Amino acid sequence: MLFTYNSKFIAILAKSMLILLFVYAATNKLIEFDEFNTQLSKSPIIAAFADWLVYVIPITELMIGFLFLINWFTTLAFYASFSLLIMFTTYIVLIMKFSEFIPCSCGGVLDQLGWGQHLIFNLVFIIITGIGLYQVDSIKPLK
Amino acid sequence: MKITFFLRLVIISLLSSGFVIGLYLVSNHSIHQNNPFIRSYPHHPITRNFELNIQYNSYYIAGYVNDKLYLGNTTAPLHLIEVNLKTKDTTHITIKIDQTDLPFRSVRVKLSSPHFFVMDGYVPAIFRGTIGNWEARLWMKEKFHFSNAIPIDTNKVFISSNATRQTVLGYIEKNKNFNIHLDSHLLEPQIDSVFSVDGTMIISQDQKYLGYVYYYRNQYTIMDSQLDILTKNSTIDTLQTANIELSTFSNGGITTLKNRPTVVNLSAALFKNLILINTTRLGKNDEAKMLDQASIVDVYNWQNQTYEFSFYLYNKGKKHAREFAVYDNYLVALVDNELDVYNIETNRFR
Repeated sequence: MLFTYNSKFIAILAKSMLILLFVYAATNKLIEFDEFNTQLSKSPIIAAFADWLVYVIPITELMIGFLFLINWFTTLAFYASFSLLIMFTTYIVLIMKFSEFIPCSCGGVLDQLGWGQHLIFNLVFIIITGIGLYQVDSIKPLK
Repeated sequence: MKITFFLRLVIISLLSSGFVIGLYLVSNHSIHQNNPFIRSYPHHPITRNFELNIQYNSYYIAGYVNDKLYLGNTTAPLHLIEVNLKTKDTTHITIKIDQTDLPFRSVRVKLSSPHFFVMDGYVPAIFRGTIGNWEARLWMKEKFHFSNAIPIDTNKVFISSNATRQTVLGYIEKNKNFNIHLDSHLLEPQIDSVFSVDGTMIISQDQKYLGYVYYYRNQYTIMDSQLDILTKNSTIDTLQTANIELSTFSNGGITTLKNRPTVVNLSAALFKNLILINTTRLGKNDEAKMLDQASIVDVYNWQNQTYEFSFYLYNKGKKHAREFAVYDNYLVALVDNELDVYNIETNRFR
């Protein structure tokens, strides 16, 4: 019982942090949409797809945040967060490796982070997601 | 249970990473092969070495020999500055020519080691002397009018001319006699045969390759020293047809430009298999305000017909670089009354 309680608590904590992160990031992108748009289209890595990624990214973030709020979809939301965070991290690694004309397009306070710090920040969140996922998965395994 | 869970995470990670890497590869491919006017600005392809105040904005690049850059001056035609790019020493040179009573109008000095040439296409006359000695003797006189000329060998000068009411490229060669070779098929007129084909003539440092870059459209041509075309190519710019309007005066039949056509390519330089083109045209991902501080140089590999990368060439105040060139490990640019010397990242410029 105690174990389950802890698992739930950890899962809820992880969930809350992810909701906060994604909703915050998405909101900032939408508020400063023009800036986000130029930053993304300058990105040497995905410039050719900037036209549609500029919508897809914040919408995906908001959707994940929304899925977390519905109990039924919590596990799915965790997996989606995990996947999205891995994508962002891959993007950062690519940027650090291949190019330095670096527009950060994360939104809000996160723009202040250097790319190295950003990488660490993402890794921490990936671990948080992993822990959360492990908890929910051990309560109610995905089929 | 545990193992499948971690396996699942690993698979999701691989798929997610793979997706982004895939996006990157496709985006990269479309930028280099089939560019929709999107620029990529890599890590410091050039770094500023030093700048030199040369007092006047009337200097042009005359040539480069063994770390020494030579600048000619349009208002003081027989004056040269020699700048040692290694030691930053400057020397002032005065050229002597053996015939000064000609109707000079637009004298240009250009180097082609071991010679230097003093050329005026209006007279027309070309003098030739030896670098270091700086005394030039008449080499060619009144054979053929030209508007621009660059020596490409001891006895050969690459020219452009509109003596035939049409701008054409060619060369003047002196063996026992003069041989003037013109090729009217090298340049492709669009609206008219003068303005629409206007452009910059460039040569590579080893004088093996000649280039012509149109001012008013997104095209350039690379030739060998026999003026055989090696490639004709488009830049990432989207303007394919010069937007030129002409007006003809009813009395004398003189044709002039009616509008100011859009300048696509301001200036250019050839370096080995690369062509560098200076422009102020904004790509999809450029911000207009950056033009207050710099102009853009786009680098193409003309052999592979690919776009490579871009970098900024910084202004002095509001003045854009008016001329630039790449020699050995240096990129030199003339901006207002200043000579800016950069070191190039040799791994990038291959």
